[in-house]
Amino acid sequence: MSDSSLELPEAAVRRLESSAFSSGLTVPDFAACLDLGLQPVGLVQGFCVMRWGWYGAGSGYMRGINPYAPGPQNNGGYAETYRCPHGFVSNEHRMWGQNIEQTWVEEAWSAGYGSAYRRMLDEAVSLGAHGVIGVTDRINPLADTGTTEFHFLGTAVKVEDGPPPAGGPWTTYLAGQRLTKSIEAGFMPVAVVATMASVRVWAYCMTEYLMEGSRGWGGPTSPYEVEQVSKAHMAVRQLARKQVRQQLSGDTLHGARIEVANRELSQGDEVIDCTLRGNRMRRFKDFDDVPPPRPTVRLT
Amino acid sequence: MSANGAIDARAEMLSGAKSLAVAPPPSRERGVTSDLSIDEALLLHSAGWEPVDLVCGVSVVSVPIGVWNWGQGEITVASVAHNAAVKGASDQLRDECIKVHGHGVVGVRVEVEVRTHHIDVELVGTAVRPIDAKNLPASPFVSDLSARDFTLLKGAGWLPVGLAFGASFAYAPRRSAGDVMKQKTQNIELTNFTEAMYSARETAMERMQRSALDVGGQGVVQVKVTEGPMHFARHAVGFTAWGTAVRLVAESHQFMQPQVILPLNDAVVTFEAQSLRSS
Repeated sequence: MSDSSLELPEAAVRRLESSAFSSGLTVPDFAACLDLGLQPVGLVQGFCVMRWGWYGAGSGYMRGINPYAPGPQNNGGYAETYRCPHGFVSNEHRMWGQNIEQTWVEEAWSAGYGSAYRRMLDEAVSLGAHGVIGVTDRINPLADTGTTEFHFLGTAVKVEDGPPPAGGPWTTYLAGQRLTKSIEAGFMPVAVVATMASVRVWAYCMTEYLMEGSRGWGGPTSPYEVEQVSKAHMAVRQLARKQVRQQLSGDTLHGARIEVANRELSQGDEVIDCTLRGNRMRRFKDFDDVPPPRPTVRLT
Repeated sequence: MSANGAIDARAEMLSGAKSLAVAPPPSRERGVTSDLSIDEALLLHSAGWEPVDLVCGVSVVSVPIGVWNWGQGEITVASVAHNAAVKGASDQLRDECIKVHGHGVVGVRVEVEVRTHHIDVELVGTAVRPIDAKNLPASPFVSDLSARDFTLLKGAGWLPVGLAFGASFAYAPRRSAGDVMKQKTQNIELTNFTEAMYSARETAMERMQRSALDVGGQGVVQVKVTEGPMHFARHAVGFTAWGTAVRLVAESHQFMQPQVILPLNDAVVTFEAQSLRSS
């Protein structure tokens, strides 16, 4: 399936050409949608299944071959090298370690997420929709095969008497009362945005020792911050936020959700993935004065 | 807005749609990011504050081997590691807040994981500042209060000053062989565990209150506690307590005088689109 063509599957075309509309909205959200002048035109979806390659030994997706290079696949991403302070050579001694941004993993994630998103938009475009509301996205591993499914679902809507948006349909995770409040507050949804940052920690000797509680050679005898791992955790979160900010072009990200998953590979070695998603909103008017809230006590 | 002041949601939607009908000029402005809901953003705005950026702080501190072995009294090394991890994460959060010119961080999500050989602490929240703020505070506050609670607190004349944290781990000492045999057929309190828990709790609470005083707080609100034996060492118990340290900034506490509401609705679920500005 092409990424951006309107070549939808035959069954999807049949469904979308039906005179009945479908929507994923709850009844209150549906009512709020009509109240806003939004006409639901169809439930739209997008799928993409991505297979992750082998990133282990011999894959080419490794750290650099020496402490002075971050590896051929890093593409100028974040990389930080840590060197052994002990000054001796041994097969079992990790003389150097690295934190590397796994740009190849991020690119694969973005490709899967982006394809599923565009396929949902293709369905919305074929319905003549102006936007998609109540978007949900699910990212599920399929079995244990390094395969991941990206699934988007939302309700395509038309704005009654409204002009078509310049850059294709707008999208938002919001619907119902929350969407109404955003519009009233002067924020128009532009798109759902999401990024994934991935950092691989190749532990050096000190990290290995500290993460297994041993002191190592000349190591600290009291609690000690594991600098390499702490920095990797901070870096992955900073990268995700930086990538999202690049998609904002000065707009606002509302309702951001940041989720972090880490997989421990061995003592100190781990992969940290950080996903950040939210609603990109554009201000189309200044905030009206919001009256100070009145505290209430409800008797039931 | 219609003539009677009520909101015209359709007209607002139409204005929004028209704004997207033309491509915006390229912008190099730094976009605002926040994990606040639209309700919270509006509440902040009503209090004269605005979100600036999503900020994080993470710290991983090692716990030396052998710390969880049998012993007596407080497991000082684990307590120190825990408090160091919280402080490290909190300092990073504060540094990120300063970088984006925030005056404080609200809605901080606190995640602590105590493991055999390391303690991981993650803090995530939204940096905020007064609208049109010019001067930066000497040190921004960190608070796990939601934007709603922050607004309410501010209305009452108080402000958050920092995150107060305290943790303590203690050994539940072994019972003697004689006690074990004697108590085998009895329903009896295990005083070693009770006393260990009391000891950990008192120490952790005291540390939390001391950390509140250290940041200039007069008290701590919304205190949360976790307690219980460590899953990897059942003979060791841990107690952690944290909340937001607050200080009275008005001359005296401002009474909110909430309005009492008695709903007279039938028990039927109906939908009513509510305006933000309807009276």
